[in-house]
Amino acid sequence: MNRKRRNWTPYLLLLPSIIYLALFFAWPMARALSLAFWKEDARLSLRTDASFTSPTAGSLPQAATVAILDTQGNRIAAGTETSAITEVWYRMSAADAEGAAVEGWVLGDRVRVDEESDGVPTLGRIRAVRRSGADPQTSVYVEPGSTRGEVAARLDAQTEVNILESATLEVWYQISGVDENGQTLEGWAQSAYITRGEQDPSSGFIQRGDSAEWTLDFIRTMLSDRFFTSALLTTLLITLITIPIQFVVALIMALVIQARLKGNLLFLYIFSIPLGVSELAVGIVFFLIFTERGYLNSFLQGLGLIDHTITFISADTRPWIIIAVVLAEVWRATSIVMVILVSGLQAVPTELLEAAELFGAGFQQRIRHVILPLLKPSIQVALILRTILAFQVFAVVMAISGGDIVTTLARETFRWYSDEIRNPNMAAAYAGLIMLISIITAIFYLRAVRTQQELAA
Amino acid sequence: MTVEAKSVPVPVIVASEEMQAVRRRALRRQRLNRGMIYVVAIALAIWIILPIYLIGSMALSSPAGVRTYPKAIFPFTDISFDTMSFFLQSEGILPGVINSIVVALITLVLSTLIAAPAGYAISRYIFPGRDFYRLAILGVRAFPVIVLAVPLAVLFIRLGLFDQVHSVALMHTALTLPTTVLVIGSVFASIPYELEEAAMVHGATPLQAFRRVIVPLVLPGIAASAIFTFVMSWNEVFAASILTLENRTLPAQVLNALNKSSPEFQFAGGFFMLIPSLIFIFFIRRYLFNMWGQVTK
Amino acid sequence: MAEIVIENAVKKFGNFFAVNNVSLTINDQEFMVLLGPSGCGKTTLLRSIAGLGMLDSGRIMIGGRDVTYMPPRERNLAMVFQSYAIFPHMTVYDNVAFGLKMRKVDPTETKRRVQQAAELLHIEKMLDRYPSRMSGGQRQRVAVARAIAVQSEVLLMDEPLSNLDALLRLEMRAELKRLLAELKVTTIYVTHDQIEAMSMGDRIAVMRDGIIQQVDKPNAVYDTPADRFVGGFIGNPPMNFIEGQVSAQNGSVNVHIGDFAITPPEGIVPALKPFEGQSVIIGIRAENIETFTKPTDNAMKVQVLVVEPLGSQNLLTIKIGTSIVKVATHPDFPAAPDGDIWLRFPIDKVRWLHRDSQKALAPV
Repeated sequence: MNRKRRNWTPYLLLLPSIIYLALFFAWPMARALSLAFWKEDARLSLRTDASFTSPTAGSLPQAATVAILDTQGNRIAAGTETSAITEVWYRMSAADAEGAAVEGWVLGDRVRVDEESDGVPTLGRIRAVRRSGADPQTSVYVEPGSTRGEVAARLDAQTEVNILESATLEVWYQISGVDENGQTLEGWAQSAYITRGEQDPSSGFIQRGDSAEWTLDFIRTMLSDRFFTSALLTTLLITLITIPIQFVVALIMALVIQARLKGNLLFLYIFSIPLGVSELAVGIVFFLIFTERGYLNSFLQGLGLIDHTITFISADTRPWIIIAVVLAEVWRATSIVMVILVSGLQAVPTELLEAAELFGAGFQQRIRHVILPLLKPSIQVALILRTILAFQVFAVVMAISGGDIVTTLARETFRWYSDEIRNPNMAAAYAGLIMLISIITAIFYLRAVRTQQELAA
Repeated sequence: MTVEAKSVPVPVIVASEEMQAVRRRALRRQRLNRGMIYVVAIALAIWIILPIYLIGSMALSSPAGVRTYPKAIFPFTDISFDTMSFFLQSEGILPGVINSIVVALITLVLSTLIAAPAGYAISRYIFPGRDFYRLAILGVRAFPVIVLAVPLAVLFIRLGLFDQVHSVALMHTALTLPTTVLVIGSVFASIPYELEEAAMVHGATPLQAFRRVIVPLVLPGIAASAIFTFVMSWNEVFAASILTLENRTLPAQVLNALNKSSPEFQFAGGFFMLIPSLIFIFFIRRYLFNMWGQVTK
Repeated sequence: MAEIVIENAVKKFGNFFAVNNVSLTINDQEFMVLLGPSGCGKTTLLRSIAGLGMLDSGRIMIGGRDVTYMPPRERNLAMVFQSYAIFPHMTVYDNVAFGLKMRKVDPTETKRRVQQAAELLHIEKMLDRYPSRMSGGQRQRVAVARAIAVQSEVLLMDEPLSNLDALLRLEMRAELKRLLAELKVTTIYVTHDQIEAMSMGDRIAVMRDGIIQQVDKPNAVYDTPADRFVGGFIGNPPMNFIEGQVSAQNGSVNVHIGDFAITPPEGIVPALKPFEGQSVIIGIRAENIETFTKPTDNAMKVQVLVVEPLGSQNLLTIKIGTSIVKVATHPDFPAAPDGDIWLRFPIDKVRWLHRDSQKALAPV
C-alpha cells in the first residue's frame, strides 16, 4: 500500500500466480467450453480415389451407415509411418491340393510364418479357418490389396507356402452413404474410420470422422437426457430454499457474535466449525440422521410420536431427501456467510448505530435502515459465493441418496465422467451449464444489490 | 460558584420513583434480552455440535452398536474402536489417507509458494492493474470449480499424468490459490510498511528487513492460511474423484465405496474425514476474519 | 422550556468512577461547555444525558421531566457525534431527514424542515450527494443539519470540531456560535479545547477525574479559577503558580516570595491569616504581571531565562525560587536572556490557593 514506486517488481511477484491460473484455470475453462461444443471426429471426408492427395468428394457424418463397395490397398514403403490401418500381404508360391504350382498374393493374416531370415519371413503355412460357415479355403490373388480382385487360386488350410515377398498396404474402402441432406455420396475412405459389419462385411458404419465440427449434439443430448430436467430443477430448488435460510441464520449468528456475550470466542469457534468440514462427511452425517434406522426415527419413536419407523430416503420420498439435503447444506455452509457478515458488521461504526438510536430508530428500524444497507457489500459477496457453491452441490446428494433418486447438475457432470461412461463432452456440457447459470446469477446479484461504492463512484 | 471541600458528604439525590421503575424495567429488559441472546447462541451452538456428536458416537461404538435400532439418545454408552479400525483396515483406505495427505501437502506448499509473492505484491505496491488482478482473483474464487475437473482430466490423460497424486495436487492448487493470495495479502497488509522501512533505516538491506522483520510477523498468518489450504484440499472430493482411478484420495475412495459399503464404513469414514477440520479450524479461528473479511474490501 | 438538571450523577466502569457524583444545572437555552482533558468523564456524562449509557445512580431531568433511565429516542434530543456518524449509504437529504422520518413527521413538513436546516448550514445544494464524496467540513455541516432538523429543545455535541483542520475549525466555531444563538436551544458541548470552550460557551463546566471542578462564565473561569487545575488547564500559557510564605506583623499580613513581600488585598487577609508561618500558592496569569526595565516600587528583580517572540507579544521564562514563571510582555519590551528585569504583581489579579488542597481561598 505504501510504496508508490512504479517498477516491475510487483508484476514479477504476481507472475507465478498468473501463469499458474492461466494454465490450470483459464485454459481448462476455455477447454471445458470447447469440449461441450466441439466434436473432434464429427465428419469423415470421402476422397475420389484411395489416396490422401486425391480431391474430396464430400463428407459423411459420424455414425452414418455406409455400403462398402470395394477395398483397395496402397503399397507403402516398409517402415513408413501412417495413421491408416495397414495390412501385410505376402507374395508366395505353393502347391495346391491338386499339386499344381500356384503363385500369387495372399493376405498376411492368412499365413502363419514358420521361418524367417534376417526378420524377413521365408516359410509359412496357411491358417485354418475357425469360424463356422466361413470359407474353409484361402484365396490367392493376382494383385495384392483387394479381396475383390482376381483370384489366382485357392488353397486349403495347412498348405505350406514359400514367402517370396511381403508388402505393407494402407487399406481404403470405397463406400457410399447418405448425408444429412439426403444426398447419396460415394468415395474412398481409410479403413480405420469404418467399422465393418460382423455378419455382412459389405456394409458398415462410420465409427469416427477425421475432421472436427462445432456441434450442438452434446447440448441436445443433455437437454433430452432423462436426468436433465430433474437435475436442473433440483439444483435450483435446493439453492432457492437453502440461501434464504442460510442468510437469516447467518445474520442471527452474526448479531449474536456482535452482542459480545461472555464466551463469545467459544461461540465463534463453534459457529465456524462447519467451514472446515468436508462436504462428503456432512452428507454422511445427515444420512445417519435421516436413514431408516437413524437418529431422527429413534428420536421420534423415543418421544412416542410415531409407532413405526418412517422411510425418509427412498424413491418415493424425494421431498424428504431434498429436505435432508437442504438441512445438510444449511448446516455446512452457513458459517461462511456468518464470517463474511461478522466482518462486515465489525466495519459498521458503533457511533452510526448510536446516532440512529438517538434520532429515534428502534431495534428493527436500526437493522432495516442502518445495518442491512451497510452490510450490502458483504451480503453481495456472500450471496454470489454461496449461490455459485450451491449450484455445485454434489457430495451431500451422493451421500444422502446415492445420487440417483435426487440428482443435481454437478452429480450429472460426475455421472457422465464416471468410470462406466467417461464421456468428457457430455460432462463438459453439464459443467458449462453450471458455469452459465453461475455467471447469470452473479450478474443478477451485482445489478440487484448495488453497493454504495458504485453509487459513490 | 464557590468551591466546597470534596469530602463533605452531599445528600444523594436519586431519580424519581417512577424513573427507578423505568430503570428496573430497562435493566430487566436488558437482562432478558441478554438471556434471549444466550438462549439463541446456545441453541445455534447445539445445532452445530449435535450432528458431529452423533456421528462421533456412531464411529466410536462397536459395529453392533452402529446397527442397533433405536439408537440411544445419549450415546457413547459403549466406546469401542472396532468400527474405526474396521474402516481404517478396509481396502484402499490407508493408501487413500496417505494420498490425501500427500495431495494436501503438495497443494499447501505449491499454493503458499505461488501465493506469497502475489499477496506481498498486492499489499505492498500500488501499480496499474492491481485492482484488476484483485478482481480477477475474486472472480476465480467465485467460479464453479467443478468445471475445471473434466478438461484437466482429459489433458492429464493425454500427458500421462492421469490417476496420479500430483495431478490432483495441481488441480487443488488452482482451487485454493485465489483464497491463499487474498489471505496472505491481508496478512501482509496488516503489517505496516514502516516496520520494514525502520529496519532499513537502521542498516538492513531490503532482503534482511523482509527476513528479519516481516517474516517472523507474518509467519503465524501464513501458517493459518496454509492450514486452511490443507483443509480445503483434504475435503475436496469432486475433482479428486474425476482425476483418479486407482490412486484415490480418501474422500474419493469413500465416495466410490459409498454405495457398496456398510453403515460402519460410512459413519467411521464420515467421522474420520471430519476430525482434522475440527482441530485445524480451532488453530486458525482468529484468522478467519482475515480470510473472509478481505473479500468485502 | 428545556432546563437540564443533573443531580448526583454516578457512572462506574468496574471500579473506576467515570462520573463521580456530578450535579449540574443547565439553564433553558444556555450554551454549556463541558471542558476537560481526555478521560475526565465529560463524554460519559454527555452520553448519560443522551441515554446512550445508563447512570448507576443520580437523576437527570430535562424540562422538568425525569429522563434518567429513558431510552434515547424518548428523550427528544439531538446530538452531533465526534466522528459525525453520517450514514454513508444515504444521501445528504436522507441523512438530514432521518430523525424526522423516525419520528414520523409528515413528508411535506419533513421536506420543509430539511430544506431549512440545509440552508442554515449552507448545504442546500448538496442534498442529493452521498457523504463519501464530501469533505470533512461538509460532513460536519450535514451532522449539524441532521441534529437541528429535528428541532428538539436540547442539542448535545461531542467534540464536533476535533476532526477538522485548524483553519476550518476556526471558521466552524464562529458559525456554530452564531447558529446556536439563533436557534435558542439548550446546548451541551463537550470539548477538550479550552479556546473553543472560552469562545463559545455561555458557561463552562471544567471536569477532572469524573468531578466538576468549576462552573462559571468563561471570563470568570479564566480570571478566578477555582483551583490550580482549572488555572493550569485554561489559558495559554497556563496560570503561574508560585509558593509564598505568609507572615503577620503588627496586624498586617504579608506573603513573601524569597526576600520579596506582597501585601494581599484587605478582602483576602482573613482567609490568609490562619496560614501564618505556612506557605500558600500565589496564582497569576502571564499577561497580568507588570514588567519594568529598572527598579520600581513593589517590583521584584529577576533574571530572564528565555525570550520567545510570539508576534503579538513576547513570552519570557523566568525562574523565581523553584518555580518557572511565564510572563507576557509587549513585543517592544527590551528583555534579553540572562538580563535582569523587575516584576510587579497587581494584587487584585492574584489568586490565593491552599497549598495542600490547591483550591482557591475564598475571600470572606
